Amino acid sequence: MLARQKSITLAASLLAFALAVILLRAFDPATSTLFPPCPIRYLTGLYCPGCGSLRAVHQLLHGNLHAAWAMNPLSVALFPFVAYGLVCEAVFYWRGKRLPQLTLRGTWIRGLCAAILLFGVARNLPFHPFDLLAPGALLKF
Amino acid sequence: MTFCPQCGTSNVDNAIVCAQCGRNLQPAAQVPPLQAPGTVIPAPGAAIQNYLVYAILTTVFCCLPTGIPAIIYASQVNTKLQLGDAAGAQAASNNARMWSWISFGLGLAMFLCYGLVMALGIFGSLHRR
Repeated sequence: MLARQKSITLAASLLAFALAVILLRAFDPATSTLFPPCPIRYLTGLYCPGCGSLRAVHQLLHGNLHAAWAMNPLSVALFPFVAYGLVCEAVFYWRGKRLPQLTLRGTWIRGLCAAILLFGVARNLPFHPFDLLAPGALLKF
Repeated sequence: MTFCPQCGTSNVDNAIVCAQCGRNLQPAAQVPPLQAPGTVIPAPGAAIQNYLVYAILTTVFCCLPTGIPAIIYASQVNTKLQLGDAAGAQAASNNARMWSWISFGLGLAMFLCYGLVMALGIFGSLHRR
Protein backbone atom coordinates (compact mmCIF):
# COMPACT_ATOMS: atom_id res chain seq x y z
CA MET A 1 0.00 0.00 0.00
CA LEU A 2 1.14 3.53 -0.65
CA ALA A 3 2.81 5.22 2.30
CA ARG A 4 0.52 8.23 1.91
CA GLN A 5 -2.63 6.14 1.92
CA LYS A 6 -1.28 4.30 4.93
CA SER A 7 -0.69 7.50 6.90
CA ILE A 8 -4.17 8.77 6.07
CA THR A 9 -5.80 5.53 7.22
CA LEU A 10 -3.74 5.46 10.39
CA ALA A 11 -4.34 9.15 11.13
CA ALA A 12 -8.10 8.72 10.58
CA SER A 13 -8.20 5.67 12.87
CA LEU A 14 -6.22 7.44 15.59
CA LEU A 15 -8.45 10.51 15.27
CA ALA A 16 -11.62 8.41 15.57
CA PHE A 17 -10.11 6.60 18.53
CA ALA A 18 -9.10 9.84 20.25
CA LEU A 19 -12.59 11.28 19.65
CA ALA A 20 -14.17 8.17 21.16
CA VAL A 21 -11.91 8.41 24.23
CA ILE A 22 -12.66 12.13 24.69
CA LEU A 23 -16.43 11.57 24.37
CA LEU A 24 -16.32 8.57 26.70
CA ARG A 25 -14.43 10.59 29.30
CA ALA A 26 -16.68 13.62 29.02
CA PHE A 27 -20.05 11.84 28.99
CA ASP A 28 -21.12 9.01 31.27
CA PRO A 29 -22.96 6.34 29.23
CA ALA A 30 -24.98 5.59 32.38
CA THR A 31 -26.71 8.99 32.22
CA SER A 32 -26.06 10.30 28.71
CA THR A 33 -28.04 9.34 25.62
CA LEU A 34 -25.04 9.99 23.41
CA PHE A 35 -24.08 6.32 23.28
CA PRO A 36 -26.31 3.64 21.79
CA PRO A 37 -27.71 1.02 24.16
CA CYS A 38 -26.53 -2.57 23.96
CA PRO A 39 -28.52 -4.13 21.07
CA ILE A 40 -29.03 -7.40 22.96
CA ARG A 41 -30.29 -5.64 26.08
CA TYR A 42 -32.49 -3.43 23.94
CA LEU A 43 -34.03 -6.32 21.97
CA THR A 44 -34.23 -9.07 24.60
CA GLY A 45 -33.97 -7.31 27.96
CA LEU A 46 -31.10 -9.61 28.89
CA TYR A 47 -27.60 -8.58 29.85
CA CYS A 48 -24.99 -9.65 27.34
CA PRO A 49 -21.38 -10.40 28.36
CA GLY A 50 -20.41 -6.92 27.22
CA CYS A 51 -23.14 -4.90 28.96
CA GLY A 52 -21.58 -2.19 31.08
CA SER A 53 -18.34 -2.08 29.08
CA LEU A 54 -18.76 1.52 27.97
CA ARG A 55 -19.68 2.58 31.50
CA ALA A 56 -16.67 0.61 32.75
CA VAL A 57 -14.34 2.36 30.29
CA HIS A 58 -15.82 5.71 31.32
CA GLN A 59 -15.03 4.91 34.97
CA LEU A 60 -11.54 3.67 34.03
CA LEU A 61 -10.85 6.93 32.20
CA HIS A 62 -11.67 8.68 35.48
CA GLY A 63 -9.47 6.30 37.46
CA ASN A 64 -12.32 4.63 39.34
CA LEU A 65 -11.25 1.03 39.14
CA HIS A 66 -13.83 -0.10 41.71
CA ALA A 67 -16.76 1.44 39.83
CA ALA A 68 -15.43 0.08 36.53
CA TRP A 69 -15.12 -3.41 38.01
CA ALA A 70 -18.71 -3.20 39.26
CA MET A 71 -19.96 -2.35 35.78
CA ASN A 72 -18.29 -5.22 33.97
CA PRO A 73 -15.47 -7.21 35.61
CA LEU A 74 -14.86 -9.19 32.42
CA SER A 75 -14.17 -6.19 30.23
CA VAL A 76 -11.99 -4.61 32.93
CA ALA A 77 -9.97 -7.83 33.09
CA LEU A 78 -9.63 -8.00 29.30
CA PHE A 79 -8.98 -4.28 28.89
CA PRO A 80 -5.14 -4.38 29.24
CA PHE A 81 -4.87 -7.20 26.69
CA VAL A 82 -7.10 -5.47 24.17
CA ALA A 83 -5.30 -2.14 24.66
CA TYR A 84 -1.89 -3.75 24.12
CA GLY A 85 -3.23 -5.74 21.17
CA LEU A 86 -4.45 -2.57 19.50
CA VAL A 87 -1.07 -0.91 20.04
CA CYS A 88 0.56 -3.96 18.41
CA GLU A 89 -1.81 -3.71 15.44
CA ALA A 90 -1.10 0.00 14.98
CA VAL A 91 2.68 -0.52 15.18
CA PHE A 92 2.49 -3.42 12.74
CA TYR A 93 0.40 -1.40 10.33
CA TRP A 94 2.69 1.61 10.53
CA ARG A 95 6.14 0.02 10.77
CA GLY A 96 5.52 -3.58 9.68
CA LYS A 97 7.14 -4.60 12.93
CA ARG A 98 5.71 -7.21 15.28
CA LEU A 99 5.86 -6.31 18.94
CA PRO A 100 6.25 -9.30 21.24
CA GLN A 101 2.83 -10.86 21.59
CA LEU A 102 1.27 -13.39 23.84
CA THR A 103 0.40 -16.40 21.69
CA LEU A 104 -2.39 -18.33 23.33
CA ARG A 105 -3.00 -21.98 22.62
CA GLY A 106 -6.18 -22.64 20.65
CA THR A 107 -7.75 -24.41 23.62
CA TRP A 108 -7.12 -21.38 25.83
CA ILE A 109 -8.92 -19.15 23.36
CA ARG A 110 -11.85 -21.58 23.30
CA GLY A 111 -11.77 -21.48 27.11
CA LEU A 112 -11.93 -17.70 26.97
CA CYS A 113 -14.89 -17.94 24.61
CA ALA A 114 -16.65 -20.30 27.03
CA ALA A 115 -15.86 -17.96 29.93
CA ILE A 116 -17.38 -15.02 28.03
CA LEU A 117 -20.56 -16.99 27.27
CA LEU A 118 -20.84 -18.34 30.83
CA PHE A 119 -20.37 -14.85 32.23
CA GLY A 120 -23.20 -13.71 29.97
CA VAL A 121 -25.47 -16.42 31.36
CA ALA A 122 -24.42 -15.98 34.98
CA ARG A 123 -25.10 -12.26 35.16
CA ASN A 124 -28.71 -12.82 34.11
CA LEU A 125 -29.44 -15.29 36.90
CA PRO A 126 -31.77 -13.49 39.29
CA PHE A 127 -30.47 -14.99 42.54
CA HIS A 128 -27.53 -14.41 44.85
CA PRO A 129 -24.56 -14.35 44.24
CA PHE A 130 -25.00 -14.15 40.45
CA ASP A 131 -27.16 -11.04 40.66
CA LEU A 132 -23.97 -9.22 41.71
CA LEU A 133 -22.59 -9.67 38.20
CA ALA A 134 -25.27 -7.46 36.63
CA PRO A 135 -23.88 -4.07 35.61
CA GLY A 136 -23.52 -1.79 38.61
CA ALA A 137 -24.79 -4.30 41.20
CA LEU A 138 -21.45 -4.39 43.02
CA LEU A 139 -21.57 -0.62 43.53
CA LYS A 140 -23.61 -1.15 46.68
CA PHE A 141 -20.58 -2.61 48.40
CA MET B 1 13.72 -15.63 -32.88
CA THR B 2 14.60 -17.26 -29.56
CA PHE B 3 18.01 -17.54 -28.03
CA CYS B 4 19.17 -20.69 -26.35
CA PRO B 5 19.66 -19.93 -22.64
CA GLN B 6 22.54 -22.40 -22.55
CA CYS B 7 24.76 -21.57 -25.55
CA GLY B 8 23.18 -18.36 -26.89
CA THR B 9 22.58 -19.70 -30.41
CA SER B 10 19.61 -18.09 -32.15
CA ASN B 11 16.86 -20.54 -33.09
CA VAL B 12 13.50 -20.22 -34.87
CA ASP B 13 10.63 -19.06 -32.66
CA ASN B 14 8.88 -22.38 -32.14
CA ALA B 15 12.01 -24.54 -31.95
CA ILE B 16 11.67 -27.36 -29.46
CA VAL B 17 15.37 -27.94 -28.93
CA CYS B 18 18.43 -25.81 -29.66
CA ALA B 19 19.94 -26.54 -33.06
CA GLN B 20 23.43 -26.08 -31.62
CA CYS B 21 23.46 -27.80 -28.23
CA GLY B 22 20.15 -29.66 -28.11
CA ARG B 23 18.83 -27.94 -24.99
CA ASN B 24 15.07 -28.02 -24.51
CA LEU B 25 13.69 -24.61 -25.59
CA GLN B 26 10.01 -25.15 -24.76
CA PRO B 27 8.82 -23.57 -21.52
CA ALA B 28 8.52 -26.08 -18.73
CA ALA B 29 5.20 -27.91 -18.70
CA GLN B 30 2.60 -26.01 -16.70
CA VAL B 31 2.64 -27.39 -13.20
CA PRO B 32 -0.87 -27.19 -11.77
CA PRO B 33 -0.84 -24.79 -8.80
CA LEU B 34 -1.12 -26.53 -5.47
CA GLN B 35 -3.61 -24.01 -4.21
CA ALA B 36 -6.78 -22.82 -5.85
CA PRO B 37 -6.28 -19.54 -7.74
CA GLY B 38 -7.12 -16.49 -5.71
CA THR B 39 -5.90 -17.84 -2.40
CA VAL B 40 -3.07 -15.96 -0.83
CA ILE B 41 0.02 -18.02 -0.32
CA PRO B 42 1.61 -16.74 2.88
CA ALA B 43 5.28 -15.87 2.69
CA PRO B 44 7.35 -18.38 4.64
CA GLY B 45 7.87 -17.18 8.18
CA ALA B 46 5.07 -14.64 7.94
CA ALA B 47 2.86 -14.82 10.99
CA ILE B 48 -0.74 -15.77 10.28
CA GLN B 49 -2.94 -13.38 12.18
CA ASN B 50 -5.81 -14.59 14.31
CA TYR B 51 -7.54 -11.19 14.79
CA LEU B 52 -8.34 -12.15 18.39
CA VAL B 53 -8.10 -8.53 19.53
CA TYR B 54 -10.89 -7.46 17.20
CA ALA B 55 -12.97 -10.48 18.12
CA ILE B 56 -12.79 -9.65 21.82
CA LEU B 57 -13.30 -5.98 21.12
CA THR B 58 -16.54 -6.59 19.23
CA THR B 59 -17.88 -9.26 21.58
CA VAL B 60 -17.14 -7.66 24.91
CA PHE B 61 -16.86 -3.96 24.14
CA CYS B 62 -19.55 -3.65 21.47
CA CYS B 63 -22.04 -6.28 22.69
CA LEU B 64 -22.10 -8.08 19.35
CA PRO B 65 -22.75 -11.83 19.10
CA THR B 66 -20.96 -11.91 15.71
CA GLY B 67 -17.72 -11.67 17.66
CA ILE B 68 -18.20 -15.24 18.92
CA PRO B 69 -17.47 -16.95 15.55
CA ALA B 70 -14.48 -14.63 15.21
CA ILE B 71 -13.13 -15.91 18.55
CA ILE B 72 -13.72 -19.53 17.52
CA TYR B 73 -11.86 -19.01 14.23
CA ALA B 74 -9.08 -17.22 16.10
CA SER B 75 -8.68 -20.30 18.30
CA GLN B 76 -8.59 -22.50 15.18
CA VAL B 77 -5.78 -20.38 13.72
CA ASN B 78 -3.60 -21.04 16.76
CA THR B 79 -4.53 -24.73 16.99
CA LYS B 80 -3.71 -25.30 13.31
CA LEU B 81 -0.47 -23.35 13.56
CA GLN B 82 0.56 -25.64 16.42
CA LEU B 83 -0.18 -28.65 14.25
CA GLY B 84 1.85 -27.16 11.39
CA ASP B 85 -1.21 -26.82 9.14
CA ALA B 86 -0.40 -23.47 7.51
CA ALA B 87 -3.11 -23.69 4.85
CA GLY B 88 -5.79 -24.52 7.41
CA ALA B 89 -4.57 -21.74 9.67
CA GLN B 90 -4.71 -19.29 6.78
CA ALA B 91 -8.28 -20.34 5.98
CA ALA B 92 -9.32 -19.92 9.62
CA SER B 93 -7.52 -16.58 9.67
CA ASN B 94 -9.51 -15.41 6.64
CA ASN B 95 -12.73 -16.41 8.39
CA ALA B 96 -11.70 -14.66 11.59
CA ARG B 97 -11.01 -11.52 9.59
CA MET B 98 -14.32 -11.80 7.77
CA TRP B 99 -16.31 -12.10 11.03
CA SER B 100 -14.36 -9.21 12.52
CA TRP B 101 -15.34 -7.05 9.55
CA ILE B 102 -18.97 -8.21 9.75
CA SER B 103 -18.99 -7.20 13.41
CA PHE B 104 -17.42 -3.87 12.63
CA GLY B 105 -19.93 -3.18 9.86
CA LEU B 106 -22.84 -4.19 12.06
CA GLY B 107 -21.60 -2.04 14.91
CA LEU B 108 -21.11 0.93 12.62
CA ALA B 109 -24.55 0.46 11.04
CA MET B 110 -26.15 0.27 14.48
CA PHE B 111 -24.31 3.34 15.67
CA LEU B 112 -25.40 5.29 12.58
CA CYS B 113 -29.02 4.12 12.95
CA TYR B 114 -29.00 5.19 16.60
CA GLY B 115 -27.46 8.52 15.66
CA LEU B 116 -30.11 9.05 12.98
CA VAL B 117 -32.97 8.20 15.36
CA MET B 118 -31.56 10.51 18.02
CA ALA B 119 -31.05 13.31 15.50
CA LEU B 120 -34.61 12.89 14.20
CA GLY B 121 -35.90 12.90 17.76
CA ILE B 122 -34.08 16.12 18.60
CA PHE B 123 -35.17 17.69 15.34
CA GLY B 124 -38.77 16.60 15.93
CA SER B 125 -38.90 18.01 19.44
CA LEU B 126 -37.46 21.32 18.22
CA HIS B 127 -40.02 21.44 15.45
CA ARG B 128 -42.97 20.84 17.74
CA ARG B 129 -42.20 23.82 19.94
